[in-house]
Amino acid sequence: MTKQQFIHVDADATVKPMPQTSDLVSGTIDGREVAVPWGTTLLEAAASIGTVIPTLCHHPALPPDGNCRLCLVEVDSRLAASCLFPLRRSGFSVSTESPKVFEARAFVLKLLLSRAPNDEYLKELAVKYEAAPDPRLGDLADGCVRCGRCVRACQATGTEAISLVGRSQERQVTGPFFEPPAQCVGCLACAKVCPTGYIVFSEERTSRSIWGRDFEMVLCPICGEPVGSLQELARAGAAEELCPACRRRAMASALVSGPGLSL
Amino acid sequence: MFFANPQSLTDFVKSPKNDAKIARRLWVCGGPGCLAAGSAALLTALENAAKAAGLSEKPELRTDMTGCLGLCERGPLVGVEPEGHLYEKVVPADAEELIERTLKKGELIERLVNDPKNPGRQEHPFYKPQTSLIMRRMGRIRPDSLEDYLSADGYKALALALGELSPEEVSRRVEASGLRGRGGGGFPAGLKWSSCRLAPGEIKYVIANGDEGDPGAFMNRSLMEGDPFAVVEGLTLGAYAVGARSGFIYVRHEYPLSVERLERAIAQAEKCGLLGRNILGSGFDFHLETVEGGGAFVCGESTALMASIEGREGQPRVKYVRSVERGLWDCPTLLQNVESWANVPLIVEKGPDWFASLGAKNNSGTKVFSLVGQVRRSGLAEMPLGSPIRVLVQDVGGGARPGRTIKAVQTGGPSGGCLPLSELDLPLDFDHLPAAGAIMGSGGLIVMDDLSCMVDVARYFTNFLKGESCGKCAPCREGLGLILRILEGLCRGQGHPGDGQELQSLGRSLSLTALCGLGQSAANPLLSTLRYFAEEYQEHEEGFCRSGRCQGLFHPAIDPDVCTGCGACAKACPSSVISGGKKEPHVVDLDGCISCGACLAACRFGAAKAVRKK
Repeated sequence: MTKQQFIHVDADATVKPMPQTSDLVSGTIDGREVAVPWGTTLLEAAASIGTVIPTLCHHPALPPDGNCRLCLVEVDSRLAASCLFPLRRSGFSVSTESPKVFEARAFVLKLLLSRAPNDEYLKELAVKYEAAPDPRLGDLADGCVRCGRCVRACQATGTEAISLVGRSQERQVTGPFFEPPAQCVGCLACAKVCPTGYIVFSEERTSRSIWGRDFEMVLCPICGEPVGSLQELARAGAAEELCPACRRRAMASALVSGPGLSL
Repeated sequence: MFFANPQSLTDFVKSPKNDAKIARRLWVCGGPGCLAAGSAALLTALENAAKAAGLSEKPELRTDMTGCLGLCERGPLVGVEPEGHLYEKVVPADAEELIERTLKKGELIERLVNDPKNPGRQEHPFYKPQTSLIMRRMGRIRPDSLEDYLSADGYKALALALGELSPEEVSRRVEASGLRGRGGGGFPAGLKWSSCRLAPGEIKYVIANGDEGDPGAFMNRSLMEGDPFAVVEGLTLGAYAVGARSGFIYVRHEYPLSVERLERAIAQAEKCGLLGRNILGSGFDFHLETVEGGGAFVCGESTALMASIEGREGQPRVKYVRSVERGLWDCPTLLQNVESWANVPLIVEKGPDWFASLGAKNNSGTKVFSLVGQVRRSGLAEMPLGSPIRVLVQDVGGGARPGRTIKAVQTGGPSGGCLPLSELDLPLDFDHLPAAGAIMGSGGLIVMDDLSCMVDVARYFTNFLKGESCGKCAPCREGLGLILRILEGLCRGQGHPGDGQELQSLGRSLSLTALCGLGQSAANPLLSTLRYFAEEYQEHEEGFCRSGRCQGLFHPAIDPDVCTGCGACAKACPSSVISGGKKEPHVVDLDGCISCGACLAACRFGAAKAVRKK
């Protein structure tokens, strides 16, 4: 990757060249010194010194979105979403548990709990931040917190079968026109990244169902265990596939008996 | 008409043209308000009358349509050139007289002017306190004529810039002018310009934000429809300064005429060598096109707007990395409101010092305000920044309607704040309004009188914003819903003690935690009314609405000492429970009264009042 000369706008309204991307920036998180490569997110920087910031919409394998607002922390007396906030200047001072942060998380939790009141993780946080769902919000408890992890996972696989549609409180995850999504390949990535277990699916040895659609499973020609759905493997360009365990075994025996490993 | 170099443009303007021979002209207002009031039919009637009077052979006497003249309340308006008179509420039946007396002979038709002793637009109380920069061509040019624009100093700045100034110098002038973004935030424009100019990248973009979504606001619309070339020229200058070769004007779908006028302006400019390849022979290329929005309020937010242009869902992103560095298609992008762009040619041409001399400290220039609500004269008014709100409301707007008193002024659109009477001397600028809990926004100004309930106002704006919340972040999506539920309860008489206090805390948390500008400012109507009208919240908790707006939360009572016995209330009452003799105090029979408030609104003397239920 070529090095880029970045610029940034300072609070004192001057334009300055940014340091090089390989440079380290340093500051404090909850009073502890930390130095990280330029552009590291605050969440990553905190994790590097073992500081845990609660997150919900964040998933390490997906692009950050910053929509759940649980990971808000105080940076130089302003609140910022740590999953997105890039550290680009030395001298930062971060507080991950200030009174302002506490108030913000309590508010956000109250709202998220109204959607998923039975989620264990949210319930645990609610105890810590003294939050309870507000009955005046009405019955919104469908179990989905609209974090969009499922949609981002579906995008990341290149399928883009589901999306978040509608505005305001009508916003929801669905296939096009609220119908079973035709593009879905039944890979279950959406369900696997869902933090609240809202996305339901059923799985048997030869079939799988999700989003109102049924998928036929491809069975491992050696052991007969399910490998993946037909469409899922077709998308990956592998119509016939061994299950992970048999593949390992086949590779190992090729290594032992053959002239060498050809991949 | 083709301009191969800057000099040819200057020569063209100096050369004698047909228009120079125009002796008198009737300018029919083509602003949104006047068009709605029937000014298109009026223009047809005038043209027919002129033909009938044999004037089609005389090009020196003309009738034409121009951009918004501003005084929408009194439309359709007709301006007379060169006398400068302004005719109000002109109807097609007046057409013949206008042609015969005014256009032919230059006579004044007294019944159509505000004050026959001072019939000129400049002496009109609505216009007198104003300073016209952005609106200066309204009433002077046909919006879709490039020739008109050129003859009114149009493209002077571009000729100067491409002929003599470096991109750095153009950018420097905007920086030194102190121009601040007219879209709402008041971000220093020069900072955006220099950052975008210095940002690394082969491809850069300039964008004009014309997604004016605030209810009751129409200043951007009037500008795009009345002087589209000013926006196009501004963008061309911006592209030259920062090194962009493509630009977009994002216009909301509900403004078809704006789109049409802008597209026509772009096409004409391209044909004449003022846009496209090798502009004015300088080697500078700039391609400009319009994009129509899909109708989401949030697309007025810069990052959501760019997502919309890219063809994605119009949703904001977190702006820790600014658009001048990574904007449209991840390229450096200079995005400004259309009014900011329209200021650019003036700044480049007349210099930053001249511009900075207008307005107030740190708030250079003027701002167009849409003055609406319960004032005598509503419309578009352009004022130097820093003018007191009072001047706009009392002098320009003419104050409260008969029998009413002004209670509050809401500035900055739905996410702005309500300021009470005591704050009316506050200067309208980007620094004083936020300090008082309101915002400048794009310049909306809604005047409310004593019949407006402040809790209901907060409920109304919260309802609007809840509907327009994109739903991306939890605080805005669910938080606004919760706030709205509590406000609705208060307005229905189902409030609880402590609701006001809880709303205060919810509003504060929402401002703190929301992702974008819409969410962060969405609590402003709530927080500002709580700050200045706390007693009304207290009363609603107890089930009383002093303004007589929330049905069922008051009894109407007529003050016998004030009542003149005009009978207006009795006529307005849908339940026929008000009685009284002519010129005698009237009485309400509460048995059968539905407490709708019609009598309060009908009373011109302030005798009918809302009292607590017994």
